Amino acid sequence: MGRESLNGAIPGRSPARIVASVYLALFLREALTRISASRAAWFWLLAEPVFNVGYMLFLYTVVRVHTVGGVDTVIWLMVGMLAFFMFRRTAGQVSASISSNLALFTYRQVKPIDTLLVRGGLEALLMVLVSGVLLAGAALFGHSVVPADPLAVLEAFLGLWLVGMGFGLVASVATELVPELGRIINFVMMPLYIVSGVVLPISAVPQPYRGWLMFNPVAQGLEAARSGFSSNYHPVSELDIAYLYEFALVSIFLGLALHRRFALRLVTQ
Amino acid sequence: MIIVDDVYKRYQTDHGPGRWVLQGVTFTIPPKLSVGLIGANGAGKSTLLRIIGGVDQPNKGRVERQCRVSWPMGFGGGLQGALTGRQNAKFVCRIHGHEDDIPERLAYIESFAEIGEAFDEPVKTYSSGMRSRLQFALSLAFDFDVYISDEVTATGDAAFKNKAFAAFKKLADHASIIMVSHGESTLRQFCSAGIWIHDGKAHWFDQIDDALKAYKSSLPA
Repeated sequence: MGRESLNGAIPGRSPARIVASVYLALFLREALTRISASRAAWFWLLAEPVFNVGYMLFLYTVVRVHTVGGVDTVIWLMVGMLAFFMFRRTAGQVSASISSNLALFTYRQVKPIDTLLVRGGLEALLMVLVSGVLLAGAALFGHSVVPADPLAVLEAFLGLWLVGMGFGLVASVATELVPELGRIINFVMMPLYIVSGVVLPISAVPQPYRGWLMFNPVAQGLEAARSGFSSNYHPVSELDIAYLYEFALVSIFLGLALHRRFALRLVTQ
Repeated sequence: MIIVDDVYKRYQTDHGPGRWVLQGVTFTIPPKLSVGLIGANGAGKSTLLRIIGGVDQPNKGRVERQCRVSWPMGFGGGLQGALTGRQNAKFVCRIHGHEDDIPERLAYIESFAEIGEAFDEPVKTYSSGMRSRLQFALSLAFDFDVYISDEVTATGDAAFKNKAFAAFKKLADHASIIMVSHGESTLRQFCSAGIWIHDGKAHWFDQIDDALKAYKSSLPA
């Protein structure tokens, strides 16, 4: 099929130009769908983290906990929640990407992997905006929202995004090839909210269980984000940002390799 | 020219591989020749069309497209229901590298489809006839050597069919169409050659009338 022309209308477009125009088109389309397709879609983007922070905050204030690990509870919860959503939304959006874009594979230019990468990129952008809005809201209530070490916070969020991408890349191929795996992934993801230390501090867990929990890259990312936010914070001693990035690297490589290996299977019915 | 060489196809089902839909299909479509695909329901016409269009892959064999082939039009493929006709059209312009002249192409698509204000309504509110109008207009907005149509004219009304046919006549000096249809008059109007698909094999006829005759003689009386 070497001589076939994939580009349709303009003869001799280079593969790089085709990919660039597909990415632009997909990005605009995905963004439009996420922001305007359902009623007040932009509101729902914010509602989930706001609601989660809100009710946990309510529980915490009822039991009168004002600081966790030496940090303002609001900031501790909010940063943890945003970091967690950075992972979970990316992972969820990317792994559902193939099934929700099936109609687009009618066009030969659009490959499954394109929709995944574009969705992941869009989700990162949206989470940055959501984080900005939530932190600005907290600042209005008089909380100190300026990170002590902004680069460390970015490093943690980027790491979590990469792990989310890796997870989504692997999960998308796995669920296409073996649909039953989708169910398993769903119930494995369920307790992640608890074991990643979003609402319960991992430092309160005794050894050796704490060491086990810290094998979870999401828990690593959350601790890293919080310790970057406040210099007073006492992260658990097992915190190792390199582990987060190693995990991301391995899972992204595995995901891309699976997509390469099964590229034809993913579009074959 | 499109070369289909010894193509085999079966679908994966929940209970393992299904029956062979295509078994060793081989033919060559010369340039500028419009071809109609004929066969009973489930004979594999749409499957073959999707493989020619590069949307699906054969299990065995290969397809060589030495020309610019459109995406297969038909049955809502390629349109996202939540977006409007205009937004869908923009997307297709962009992936075909026409970022610069989107307004002109949109104007063409809007005027050819003739669906009025529905062009700015979500595609999921469209009737099947409106969908096929939009799909046909979309593909005609780009220069392909071969257009692939899967019953897309079937749901259009008489006025639209005539308009599509007239547009096609204009392209006939440099483009052709490969179509699946159950309408004999549509096939005679658009195509000169025919392929009859029967029992997983493809039979080539230089005249569409001969293909229709062969198809009809295979039907139980």
